[in-house]
Amino acid sequence: MKKKRDWGYLGSLCISVLLAFVIGAVILAVAGFSPVKAYAAMASGAFSSARHIGDFLEYAMVLCLTGLACVLGSRVGIFNVGGEGQLLLGAVVGCQVGVWLNGQSPWLAIPAAALAAMAVGAFYALIPGWLKVKVKVNEVITTIMLNTIAASLCQYLAKGPWKNPNKNMVAATAQLDPRYWFKTLIPGSNLSTAIIAAAVVTFLTWYVMQKTSTGYEMKLTGQNPRFAFFSGIKTDRIVLACMCISGAMCGLVGMFRVYGAEHLYRSSVSNQYYFEGLTVAMIARYDPVTVIGLSFLFAILKIGAQGMELSAGVPNQIYLIIQTVVIFCMAAESGVFASLRAGAQRKKARADIRRKEEESHV
Amino acid sequence: MFEGVLRSVFSAGTFNQMLRSATPVALAALGGAMTEHAGIMNIGMDGMILMGAFFGVLGSYFFGSAAAGVALVLAMGVLVGLFFALFVVKFKSDEFIIGTALNTFALGLTSFLSRSIFGAAGTKGNPALPTVHIPGLDAVPFLGRVLNDNSLFVYVTWALVLIMWLFVYRTPYGFWLRASGEKPETLRTAGIAPERMKWLASVLCGLLCGLAGAHLSLGQLQGTFAEDMANSRGYIAFACVIFSRANPAAAYGAALMFGFFDAIGLRLQDYISSDLTNTIPYVITIVMMVYVVVRSQRKKRRAGKRLPARQT
Amino acid sequence: MDDIAVRFEHVSMAFPGVLANDDVSLDIRRGEVFALVGENGAGKSTLMNVLYGIHAPTDGRVFINGRELTDHSPKAAIGLGVGMVHQHFMLVPSFTVAQNIVLSREPRRGRVFFDNAAARRKTLALAEEYGLEVDPDAAVEELSVGLQQRVEILKTLYRGAEILILDEPTAVLTPQETEELFAVIRRVVREKRMTVVIITHKLYEVLAISDRVGVMRKGALVGVRDTAQVDEQTLASMMVGRPMLYDKLEKTGTPGEVMIEVKDLTVRDNRGLVAVDKLSLSVRAGEVLGIAAVEGNGQSELLEAVTGMRKAESGAVTICGHDATGLDPGAIRALGLAHVPEDRLSTGVSRDATVTDNLLTGRHREKRFNRFGFHQRTSTIERYAREIYEKFDIRGSGTDVPVGDLSGGNMQKVVIAREFSFDSPVLVVAQPTRGVDVGAIEFIHRQIIDRRNQGCAILLCSADLDEVFRLSDRIVTLYEGKITGEFTGEFSKDEIGLCMTGGQRDKEAAS
Repeated sequence: MKKKRDWGYLGSLCISVLLAFVIGAVILAVAGFSPVKAYAAMASGAFSSARHIGDFLEYAMVLCLTGLACVLGSRVGIFNVGGEGQLLLGAVVGCQVGVWLNGQSPWLAIPAAALAAMAVGAFYALIPGWLKVKVKVNEVITTIMLNTIAASLCQYLAKGPWKNPNKNMVAATAQLDPRYWFKTLIPGSNLSTAIIAAAVVTFLTWYVMQKTSTGYEMKLTGQNPRFAFFSGIKTDRIVLACMCISGAMCGLVGMFRVYGAEHLYRSSVSNQYYFEGLTVAMIARYDPVTVIGLSFLFAILKIGAQGMELSAGVPNQIYLIIQTVVIFCMAAESGVFASLRAGAQRKKARADIRRKEEESHV
Repeated sequence: MFEGVLRSVFSAGTFNQMLRSATPVALAALGGAMTEHAGIMNIGMDGMILMGAFFGVLGSYFFGSAAAGVALVLAMGVLVGLFFALFVVKFKSDEFIIGTALNTFALGLTSFLSRSIFGAAGTKGNPALPTVHIPGLDAVPFLGRVLNDNSLFVYVTWALVLIMWLFVYRTPYGFWLRASGEKPETLRTAGIAPERMKWLASVLCGLLCGLAGAHLSLGQLQGTFAEDMANSRGYIAFACVIFSRANPAAAYGAALMFGFFDAIGLRLQDYISSDLTNTIPYVITIVMMVYVVVRSQRKKRRAGKRLPARQT
Repeated sequence: MDDIAVRFEHVSMAFPGVLANDDVSLDIRRGEVFALVGENGAGKSTLMNVLYGIHAPTDGRVFINGRELTDHSPKAAIGLGVGMVHQHFMLVPSFTVAQNIVLSREPRRGRVFFDNAAARRKTLALAEEYGLEVDPDAAVEELSVGLQQRVEILKTLYRGAEILILDEPTAVLTPQETEELFAVIRRVVREKRMTVVIITHKLYEVLAISDRVGVMRKGALVGVRDTAQVDEQTLASMMVGRPMLYDKLEKTGTPGEVMIEVKDLTVRDNRGLVAVDKLSLSVRAGEVLGIAAVEGNGQSELLEAVTGMRKAESGAVTICGHDATGLDPGAIRALGLAHVPEDRLSTGVSRDATVTDNLLTGRHREKRFNRFGFHQRTSTIERYAREIYEKFDIRGSGTDVPVGDLSGGNMQKVVIAREFSFDSPVLVVAQPTRGVDVGAIEFIHRQIIDRRNQGCAILLCSADLDEVFRLSDRIVTLYEGKITGEFTGEFSKDEIGLCMTGGQRDKEAAS
């Protein structure tokens, strides 16, 4: 029973991705590009060099962590759309902690920065979480507003109080002591040892959600909060905790981006990365294992699209289009499928009655 | 200095700016009011605005006239509304997922097309919508400077607010629309398919959000398109809808309030970092959302004391 | 044919997995009150929804006033003169009475504008014509249930109904409101020669109001009788397909110490009204205390406050000797209380979770189900779930399907199984057999009495008065949040009925 449903999901995913590429090709053609050339450039862009593979893995890490952060919220019935803000704040605060601790041992500075990034991310997620649980304010709007606020705030910090001493660097914080940098694993790429930490976080998140009694409580809370409360689960506390952890994960991603790739804070730390992770989580229907798998798929697409822009001059935003068309296709598929199934059931019921009547006439 | 700040904040310029900032939000909120009455949680307005902004400039760029741009926006608005309704009404997909996907899709599509067609992330200097000069209004002190010489859509919005208000509260279709969201079965058992009202609401929302975008790019910014230029206005419009309980007139008021704080932010930029003042409208939006909930809870408590009869 | 208002010819209606109507043929005469009775799920509402055009029948034909209903839509049925008052009212809460009445057929001014003045005028005229007084400008959400029903009836009359279908109209009414409704029915039948079809499962109402009665069982029409020629007993056995004779439930043991103590409890409902008013009661070990009340008199809020689902405004609750006031459900469960909630779908189960997960809730933290206190032991859990599943005779396709796939009765068994397996000293049970088939009712009743005989203190609440009578050792009646009577020993239906409607019982006589 369970197996069958998984195959159905995989099938519709494949069809949707295929369709998305077809629609992407149409849009490419309309815009005057050769779809064949563009897709060829995309494929070679993703795998042409070790550097690209490194970038791809780093981006898969970002998608996976942000996607799981989103899953964590939706598991208990709250949509954390504010991951982007939590990520940015985590990045800028994590970075600044490193700057303040300049000269100290990396063994002190890196954990301190990670903790600070997680704390600020958690706090920033706690605001909408608390408003949702205690005041019952829709979290979608508040988190989105908080994203915009966080982006402006980080911009202010990077331009003002925490700005780079170098006058030519606009809107960036001071650079970190190189001793604090995560070791780059593939030279020239963004891939660093951060991915190991990310793997550990990923595993823990999956384990808690799928294998423990805490995960069981989370699942019940998300499915029917009234029932969960009725059975003695402290639902408010669980929702707030998940929101905090979700925010902490986003903050941590920001810190990884700074210590692994950028080495200082500037707005390129994240370009709506959380929303791409959120999209992955939606396509995965909030299943953690599927999120992990799809992160790699969409990271290939993204890096491929960037390569395509460089080599074939096609804007890489085609990647966003393809990604969202996958969502639409999957939504349409389940809608069409549901109405087909209802029709088939009606037909079958009618046939059953006819047969029964015929039998009774005999 | 403090006095100077105050004088600058409460000048005619500020109130004129309020009107300008409020208009795109108000247009989108009018659209959002339609879907809200039809019982659809529409958080895809941001994407709808962005598409309107882009296709307005595109039409203006291709045909050399802002009117053509607006025509293209209207056509696209209907299309986007139908597309949204197809998923949300016909396929009964999750409104949140479709709304978010629509926003990301719009971002991707407009950025991609902008780079493909204009060769850059944006474009400017395309034929824009005219500003309207009302002769004689200048003679009125203060108000003249606030109300006169605004972009065409500022005035169109006033008309639309009135039309939408009449539509919702004074025509049978408005009653059907509200019934389709509040209690769809009442319509169904009366022989009217509530889905039809939902489709209509989506299309109206697509149209109005498209106009909001067109005003942004063709009116306010005089033929300019920039990447992600909706800048969360769709979400602010959504907050206005909630705040006004989807009453078009009240939604315009809420948009004016947003515009006022936006204008103040712009004024204060001379004194405080613009990055900080930019956050003001968004903070206000959160405060608005919290207030709405607190207000409804308080009202419920008061209603409890007033009602004599028991109900189940 | 002329005096036949409605004719069903071999109507069948199938839903996925259920045959709701099975080859029903029936004539309803013009100017009669026809009662349609049957158990929950017997197909009464479905049949009437077919008549009203909501469902297109899978097979068969429907004639209204001699004309066939071909286009199966409410619009067509309304056009042929059918009006229906649904069990859940089809009114828009924020609209006024007049606006609700004219909805879909609004009077217009200048073709596009809604003519509110005309709507008011027409409402008042209708109200006067039929003697159904309403305030056209009141918002429907502010009306009592009885008045809302009146608006529903006016709405069908406005649409020109000659055939009026009432789906369980008395379920939410007080006895006085029921009397008023019956008076209205008699008047429209006598003066306007309307045809009224009333769906109910209260047999005494059938006898009181109808001319003829049709009995449905498992989707089929099992018989039509003249009301004058039947009594409750005959109807009851037609409904269940065999004589309705319950085995006598063996009650043993004597009540022990007080396990539930409620003192001066005041609770407000969702709208902020006082639903439970300074109420005190107690339940002893080995005793079933039944609450008898018309829906909406505070019984739901009382149980919610006792079990921690709702905060009480003042007063105290003691469970097993411990103060339980203001605790959350988890903490109260820890004191030794288990709870079968009144609404199983919203509170009793998680529909998307598997049967296993639903059976596990509440004890998922127990040591035997967790390695190191946090890692779930899947196989132990599954074994446990299967054991309970079999013990409580739950019928479905196994323990790893979502509970939502089970039938209502089996879903209820899942709830009963989980809550009863705690072996807790205190049980709060609400609507234990709502929508459950007869066989399962017997099973559930036996479970409740078994727990009672084992010394459990049970607080029971049910809309089914017979159930309350059968299971309770003691009954209290509740009216507007206050206890109006207490009964032990042989219960008198009349006296309890009187107390349920606000009549005070002489306290001395009770003791």
